[in-house]
Amino acid sequence: MATKSPERMNIIDQMAHLFSLRQIVFAIVLTFFLVSILFPFYWMVSSSFKTRAEIGGRTAVYVPEGLRMEAFQELFDPNHPSYQEFGKNIINTLSVSIPTTIVAVILSVLGAYAIARLRFRGKNVLLNSILLVYLFPGVLLIIPLFAMLAQIGTQVGFEVQDNLAVLVVTYLAQTLPVALYMLTNYFRTIPDEIEQAALIDGASRFEVIWRITLPLAIPALVSVGIYTFMIAWNEFLYAFVFLNNGDLFTMPIKINTIFNDPTPRPNVVMAASTIMTIPIVMLFLVLERYLAEGLTAGGVKG
Amino acid sequence: MAVSAKPKSGSSFMKRWRAVESQEARLAWTLISPTAIIVFGLVIFPAVFSVWVSFHDVGLNNLNDVFNAPLAGPDGLDNYRKVFDDFAFKFQGLQSWGAAVTSVVYSFVATIATLVVGLIAAILMNRPFRGRGLTRAIFLIPYVAPVISMAFVWRWILDPRPSGVLNDLLIRLSVIEPQESIAYLATRGLALALVIVFEAWRYFPFAMLMILARLQAIDSTLYEAAEVDGASTWQKFWNVTIPELRYVLGAIFLLRLMWTFNKFDDIFLLTSGGFGTKVLPVLTYEFSFKLFDFGKGAATAMILLAILVVFMAFYIGIVMRNIEEE
Repeated sequence: MATKSPERMNIIDQMAHLFSLRQIVFAIVLTFFLVSILFPFYWMVSSSFKTRAEIGGRTAVYVPEGLRMEAFQELFDPNHPSYQEFGKNIINTLSVSIPTTIVAVILSVLGAYAIARLRFRGKNVLLNSILLVYLFPGVLLIIPLFAMLAQIGTQVGFEVQDNLAVLVVTYLAQTLPVALYMLTNYFRTIPDEIEQAALIDGASRFEVIWRITLPLAIPALVSVGIYTFMIAWNEFLYAFVFLNNGDLFTMPIKINTIFNDPTPRPNVVMAASTIMTIPIVMLFLVLERYLAEGLTAGGVKG
Repeated sequence: MAVSAKPKSGSSFMKRWRAVESQEARLAWTLISPTAIIVFGLVIFPAVFSVWVSFHDVGLNNLNDVFNAPLAGPDGLDNYRKVFDDFAFKFQGLQSWGAAVTSVVYSFVATIATLVVGLIAAILMNRPFRGRGLTRAIFLIPYVAPVISMAFVWRWILDPRPSGVLNDLLIRLSVIEPQESIAYLATRGLALALVIVFEAWRYFPFAMLMILARLQAIDSTLYEAAEVDGASTWQKFWNVTIPELRYVLGAIFLLRLMWTFNKFDDIFLLTSGGFGTKVLPVLTYEFSFKLFDFGKGAATAMILLAILVVFMAFYIGIVMRNIEEE
């Protein structure tokens, strides 16, 4: 730490000087980071409790008078004149993100097991081409997807627009490659010997996966699950293009609709955003230990 | 059940070995096929199909019969010509960059900003202090929070009215008068700069995590050796830390550049692509889903992809190889 050149000042003075200067710079930079991250959150949450008057005033109101539920009433209270039926949007989001998560975890476990444990020809080509997904922008894929699914839809007889199942499948396509990659890396860290022993004892592959590999991989499964859930919960573009019927809007699309309403009601937008943000941030903070690793390992696309 | 596909002469041991091998391969393909089908069907095939769309005339009228869409122009290049001639696309001097140049500038500057902020954050987090775990968790919040909420909070903080937070603060500090309130996201130049700041704010945690992991793996004897040689803190940073981080910085740069270049939501939600922030993904969206000219949209997307691929080939071929050689 200390510099090795004692000049006019003696070493102790110099160290103290250096140390405190460093401390100060450190504290300032840290504070700057924390404020710039936490202030937008504070603003979002506090604004959701503001009244129309507090929101529309001539100056900014930093602390609301009280915890006014005006904005939340508009979202949830059927008696409110411009009731938004936000409960419906929460259910839509959940009914997209929960199936996406479950299916993605199951499929990626199977796929990752195959890649990590089994030998077969074309493995590397397959893995690399699956990872190609990283390269393609969502906007590039959405045009052919739209045309393709419309085509298949008219033949098989399902509606492409306003179909939450279509969203689930497109989210799977977006999340499976990363999930596969994360889990493969994790499975490779689990020693192979236990599985081999079980196989020799006559257990089937599926028994081995179910009884041995999965219990050992729980941290990775949690992080893959949360990761897919997060992507499906937050996704905007595909839902925006594929959904036209207000009854099927997921939360992001609904928030965008409220935001673009001719009568601006930022408190309602902020209340809806708070409802959408808090669960995902909470989930993340609780499981942060698992996730930080997963985030870097998979390099979450975003 | 397990019969080797290729009957070959050899010892019975070899036959059995092959049988086991092909059984294993069959199982592997069974396990991975659902994922492979979804990814190929919904990513790889559409990607190839969009090349086809970019050469054809596809609009709302023939969307249901897309495979019979007519060729765009005599040589199929009409969509590309239309894009290159579009005022939203082409560079027309410094006042109006066009989407191609805006995209490149935006992605590069935003990626570098993300890297720098991530590096600073990682250095902060690499020092032990009380509450470090909590701070690190807080630092990750912008990255995990939904883009829509974050974009709208920012839009409101940057509201053009005097009651917008930033305007309000500047008025209180007497930097500006109430009637001089700034329309931050509706001013050419400033809007692009702020979108870049938003990008760095939102994505630095990714860079931070990767850099932090590498920082913690640096051999401390390197620093001790540098100290023995009498290196200052700055010299140690520049001559030990940065070289050790070079590979990870290069990898983050490539990944983030790719994703930023492809990014649609952030800019669309912040500025809708107005005031000099129209990037190629937003332009693709507008051609396809506002003008419903899917062919033109696909051509724009192909140009976007082409720029990206050329850059990546250059980067991986030259820059990364140099790093490895040194």
